[in-house]
Amino acid sequence: MAARAEPPPAAFERRVLRSAARHHYLRVRLELPDGGARPNAAQFKQLVVSALRELHGEVGAALPVDVLTYEEKTLSAILRVISSGLVKLWSALTLLGFYQNRRCAFRVLQTSPFLLALSGNSRELVLD
Amino acid sequence: MAGFADLNLPQGPDKKSLQSLLEAAAHLGYSAVALNHVIDFKEKKQEIIKPVSPSELFPSLPIVQGTSKRIKVLTRLTLVVSDPSHCNLLRSTSANIRLYDIIAVFPKTEKLFHIACTTLDVDLVCINVTEKLPFYFRRPPVNMAIDRGIYFELLYTPAIKDSTMRRYTISNAISLMQICKGKNIVISSAAERPLELRGPYDVANLGLLFGLSESEAKAAVSTNCRATMLHGETRKTACGVVYTVKKPRKVEEEETTVPACKKAKTQA
Repeated sequence: MAARAEPPPAAFERRVLRSAARHHYLRVRLELPDGGARPNAAQFKQLVVSALRELHGEVGAALPVDVLTYEEKTLSAILRVISSGLVKLWSALTLLGFYQNRRCAFRVLQTSPFLLALSGNSRELVLD
Repeated sequence: MAGFADLNLPQGPDKKSLQSLLEAAAHLGYSAVALNHVIDFKEKKQEIIKPVSPSELFPSLPIVQGTSKRIKVLTRLTLVVSDPSHCNLLRSTSANIRLYDIIAVFPKTEKLFHIACTTLDVDLVCINVTEKLPFYFRRPPVNMAIDRGIYFELLYTPAIKDSTMRRYTISNAISLMQICKGKNIVISSAAERPLELRGPYDVANLGLLFGLSESEAKAAVSTNCRATMLHGETRKTACGVVYTVKKPRKVEEEETTVPACKKAKTQA
């Protein structure tokens, strides 16, 4: 009896990418108690850079951070940072306490390596 | 996953500010907080008062964002000890101390740190973050504390307020990490205003700054806090297994019917 021809062994290739995303995106909101001027986009970026400088020095302030969108009315913004700098940026925003001698707080609402993931926030959903 | 907890909210006299603090904590996602009452023995003799029950202070607790449960409020006592005679209060098993859910001690000298880690019956040992540590951590007492289930507490609110304190916080935290290798750490705020609170994931990120690994940093805000709360609960039980609960006394009615035991006898 002729041996049944065996199918050729399947060839597959597996690629594992660890932290392949180059940038991380953060949606943040600045909480300022009412009263007083609100920062515009340039001042907001300067605030972020000065927070980095206060905590991580000149090297931290040189971290490539971009403000992708900024809404002055709600003081919320989407920041983009290189993936290796996420911990530095996040810790700098957390430890920022004052803006122009007024108490403030940065609330990081969402963070993700994909910008699309920032479009939906399950925490804003309300039960009917 | 254990819910996030913030074990240090200083209890001020103002009820409205406490209420706003609680609402901020619930909005940020903390499932449990502990109201901290600090006793400093350096000042004139202070009495340990009974803890005010949170249900009396706050008629309605806010709901934690993301769940449907209300925030849990515990009571905590912190003793600032700078002299070995102050520890006698803990050993005296005074009635008022046992009413607190969590007991913490803040040692100021190396000898007291050793005593707190090895013999005192506490849940938390606070690590000073506002000034340079007057003593170096040594491995034997720290390892004994880890074996006994005692956690070391670090505060992060001083780091928000002042840049000098930021350096002390990070340097003290790093020297603690070198000795304890990231185990048994609890990070909490000592926030007096809602703006000084930070969300649980932000605080976990701060743990990365202190030298913890990612899982250890998240555990510092969630799992270790739950372990501390359970450690405090075992103090109210016998061997951690048996509880005693005070049952509300029912008002005795006028017994017109024959008592049960007598009835059984006549029936037979």
